Amino acid sequence: MSRIRRPLWPRAGVVSLSETVALGLCVLVAATVTDRFYIDIIISTFLWAGLALAWNIAGGYTGLLSFGHAAFFGLSAYTSTILLVDFGVSPWLGMWIGASAAAALGAFITLVCARLRGPFFTLATLATGEVVRIAALNWRGLTRGGEGLEIPPADSFINLVFFSKRPYVALVLIYLVVLFFLSKRIERSRFGYYLFATRDDEDAASTAGIDPLAMRVRAMTLSAFLTGLGGTLFAQYFLFLDPTHVISPEISFQFALICAIGGLGTAIGPVTGAFVVVPLSELLRAWLGGGAAGLHLAIYGGVLLAVILYFPQGLAGAIGRSPRRPAALVVGASGQAGAAR
Amino acid sequence: MVTAGQLFISGVMMGAVYALMAMGLTLIFGVLKMVNFAHGEFLMIAMYGAWALSASLSLSPYVAIIVIVPALFAFGLLVHQVVIRPAIDKPHLVVVFVTMGLSIMLQNIALFFMTADLRDVPPMFGNQSIAVGPFLMRTELVLGFAMTLVVTAVMLVLIDRTYFGKAVRATAQNREAAMLMGVNVPRIFALTFAMGSALVGLAGCALIPLHSTFPTVGLNFVLIAFVVVVLGGMGSMEGALLGGICVGLVQTFTGYYVSPALGQMFYFLVFILILIVRPAGLLGQRGAAMVGVN
Repeated sequence: MSRIRRPLWPRAGVVSLSETVALGLCVLVAATVTDRFYIDIIISTFLWAGLALAWNIAGGYTGLLSFGHAAFFGLSAYTSTILLVDFGVSPWLGMWIGASAAAALGAFITLVCARLRGPFFTLATLATGEVVRIAALNWRGLTRGGEGLEIPPADSFINLVFFSKRPYVALVLIYLVVLFFLSKRIERSRFGYYLFATRDDEDAASTAGIDPLAMRVRAMTLSAFLTGLGGTLFAQYFLFLDPTHVISPEISFQFALICAIGGLGTAIGPVTGAFVVVPLSELLRAWLGGGAAGLHLAIYGGVLLAVILYFPQGLAGAIGRSPRRPAALVVGASGQAGAAR
Repeated sequence: MVTAGQLFISGVMMGAVYALMAMGLTLIFGVLKMVNFAHGEFLMIAMYGAWALSASLSLSPYVAIIVIVPALFAFGLLVHQVVIRPAIDKPHLVVVFVTMGLSIMLQNIALFFMTADLRDVPPMFGNQSIAVGPFLMRTELVLGFAMTLVVTAVMLVLIDRTYFGKAVRATAQNREAAMLMGVNVPRIFALTFAMGSALVGLAGCALIPLHSTFPTVGLNFVLIAFVVVVLGGMGSMEGALLGGICVGLVQTFTGYYVSPALGQMFYFLVFILILIVRPAGLLGQRGAAMVGVN
């Protein structure tokens, strides 16, 4: 294949110069920052950027607006952690098992909801997340219910537990970079074009020989699998899981909101979203926290509202040259024509 | 048998209150074809309003209706003009995220000003229950049930028998055609959204004697309301009543015979089951879920 010339601004399918520079800066920051407070923020940011990229494969590329990704996140985190705590299986192995369980759940949900579109699909995923949360809360024998599940905090490479925060920074950075390049790869692959076609006009896609259901199932499976990997990383970093915090609807919304703020359906969008939203909410919490409970999230909600209303293509779409598709938010556009039916 | 009968009555009554909560949502869903994720926060505001009137003026929540319902109507109108109207013609994702941002904002403004403390209104009827044969019914639940029946009847008349209702139905069926026929669609949208908010205001007044209010109270109830709306079929008032009663029954029976914690899980499972078997809901229009409506 001929060599692709690197464009300056983000474009679908190619890693542009600005993105290369930004990734380089991430590595530099990850390698140099030592303050524990900032390292925490960096880890959260990188992890959420990766998670948002995983969500984006279903929500952005395929138009499967899921509000149930916390189910995949939590299922994998719980699977790998239970394997570690009760059966002594290393998370290096457990994360693949957990992610596979999440992927199976993703495929199952998408098949079950095969006929649902738009808000109906979204509500079904929301309900799925709740079912998983309530199950985790009540299946005490397995998950310890509301007491939570703790990973013994002993420094061990095999158990993927470290006293230093450095290895975690490296892990989440690898997670982010792998997902970023994978997303770019999808964007210029046949698979990616199938997903876009399924999203933009399902009837036309199936006329062209694409099986939309198969595409939706594959996209959701991949998305759930990658989300699951992030779930295990999360568990290994915080060393504590409880259903209310790990599988809550709020976590599910976070996936979607980061992508919406950054810009759906592009690789740079979710990363931009995470790099804006996560540090902003952490810093607002640090500055305003204590005496002003809720204020930082009220501001966060207001910012979200304003961004969506004024930049429906997300911040990345507004700042850079819009990557390939000007209306990145036009997901499920096929239904638009018949909006009033 | 008496236990089952008692559970049935409680389930139906609680379900009717859920239906009242869901009616505003289903109305907005049916006409504007959008999911209002901030619906639960509207309920929370109404509950705080009724609580505030009770705490400051020792007004009964049932009297507070005359203040809360118009207030929520005005609030709905405001939200529609500022937030919903600019987003309504864009893809449904925009509306989803906009209402979600609104939800986060309202929830946390409430947390900031009201703190996370639980607020209750003092019991009004002592702990008096109404006894019918061997069955006991909480007075507050009976009142909520009665309110739901009245509201359902009023809404049905309004939608089916009036000129305004005809315009609303025309807009719901096909907004372009309605516009061509001279229906002022933006005005119908604004009024429907405000009416939906007013209905949830009423639900808040019915609910506050039964349930304490706190900033995230909306989340629990909005999930129930979604289940009710999809179960009944979007846009259908009688469907909402039926759906609400189904949810109430599933919740009380599984709560008693299986476990209270699992009651919630069962109605979500019923919800997913209904979505698979009959996605349009019990009384909804066929095919709505397949075209995604928006």
